Amino acid sequence: MSDIMINAQNVMKSFGDTEVLKDISFTLEKGHVLSIIGPSGSGKSTLLRILTQLETADGGSLDLVGKPLFKNVNGKAVYESAEKRRELNLKTGLVFQNFNLFPHFSVLRNITEAQRAVLKRSKDEAESKAIDLLKKMNLEDKANSYPCELSGGQKQRVSIARALAMDPEILFFDEPTSALDPELTLEVLKVIRGLAEEKMTMVVVTHEMNFAKGSSDEALFMDGGVIVEKGNPTELFDNPKEERLRRFLNTFNS
Amino acid sequence: MGNLILQLFKGLNFSVRIFFLTLLFSLPFGFVVAKGRMSKIAPVRWFTDLYIQIMRGTPLILQLLFFYFAPFYIFHASYDRFFAVILAYVLNYSAYFAEIYRSGLQSMDKGQYEASQVLGFTKAYTFFHVILPQVFKKILPSVGNEVVTLVKDTSLASTLGIAELFRVAQTSSSRVFSTTPIFIAGVFYFIMNYVVAKFFDIVERKLDYYE
Ligand SMILES: Nc1ncnc2c1ncn2[C@@H]1O[C@H](COP(=O)(O)OP(=O)(O)OP(=O)(O)O)[C@@H](O)[C@H]1O
Ligand SMILES: [Mg+2]
Repeated sequence: MSDIMINAQNVMKSFGDTEVLKDISFTLEKGHVLSIIGPSGSGKSTLLRILTQLETADGGSLDLVGKPLFKNVNGKAVYESAEKRRELNLKTGLVFQNFNLFPHFSVLRNITEAQRAVLKRSKDEAESKAIDLLKKMNLEDKANSYPCELSGGQKQRVSIARALAMDPEILFFDEPTSALDPELTLEVLKVIRGLAEEKMTMVVVTHEMNFAKGSSDEALFMDGGVIVEKGNPTELFDNPKEERLRRFLNTFNS
Repeated sequence: MGNLILQLFKGLNFSVRIFFLTLLFSLPFGFVVAKGRMSKIAPVRWFTDLYIQIMRGTPLILQLLFFYFAPFYIFHASYDRFFAVILAYVLNYSAYFAEIYRSGLQSMDKGQYEASQVLGFTKAYTFFHVILPQVFKKILPSVGNEVVTLVKDTSLASTLGIAELFRVAQTSSSRVFSTTPIFIAGVFYFIMNYVVAKFFDIVERKLDYYE
């Protein structure tokens, strides 16, 4: 039996009068990578922000790692207690498009701070974990640098290490390479591919169609706040059923 | 001459006390005002805004006179001059510091809050360990400018007859028919501000390691 890590049903979200997410339902299995693609303004970030609790949903239900975050009660999303929300918050990590590293902390401290303050790990434990992750990111020589001294690709790898240090069970990425020069994009995608091989459960919002097609287990195309098409990435890219998806993919081929 | 210098040092003592007492209270109180200025409750926001506008829109010398004489005329009660002086300076400088804090806080990237939240930091932890250090660095030059101004502004306390440096220099000057005391007082102010500027310089350089 496979564990369902994300179970979203009829998730809805509006900002004022604009319905940004209309009826989002999908599931994700443990160890799978889901790519979310779609045009600008389709609600991809908003969905990720609901999954990581940076926004609250208006309707629907959501289970993460088998536990409810909010439930559908008469069409309204009713959230669990603060304690349970926090528990789930600690099981999810988010990598931002523009990194959001802490500029006043060294690379090492960026990775140890939350381990120590939130998980109450000892200094030694947090630092050895950070060093291991930096090695994995090929950045061990940057431990004492400050974020301003790093390239965009290096910054993004530090921010991935910062998220991984918390041992999340699901890792979310919101366009992790969109702020990077093309030649730096590859080094970040390589890291994400490596995590996929280790069976890290991940959701990646991306405009990198090669990555979405080649490195994910599932893909999902959003437009106008709804999931227009979802399924196996090869199927989705080679045999798009929906006209909207076909048109969207064409904009990348031209 | 020795006597003159001694007198001036006594005046300097008052000036320095005004200076430090003002900073002691207005630096933290400015933060409370900034919070009020950014409050979600509209009347709180309006009230703090009005307060800031008045403090910044009227001369400090006028505020000094007001805080000393208003209680006297309204309640027929008078209180210690020195207290009135400190009150006026603190309320005035808090308004300036509040605006500096506010612009510093509002210039913070919201991504810093979001990254903190996703990592599980509490609101208080985020404020003290992520936001405050960065805001501190950002506003340091503006705070430095205000502090330099404060050194010079302490001379306005002479209006209420406080025997601070400027007043002592002025009375000595007219007593001995010479501008020497005024000149020496000028040198004192200059040295104080030199120290203040150097101090801020050093702190700024200490924080130069990032961004
Ligand atoms: N805090 C907010 N307040 C009001 N409207 C918002 C807010 N956040 C997002 N929106 C709106 O919601 C819609 C979806 O935004 P979202 O950022 O989720 O899109 P996206 O698919 O991530 O787009 P992009 O590819 O440009 O990142 C947009 O129309 C946006 O203007
Ligand atoms: Mg987005």
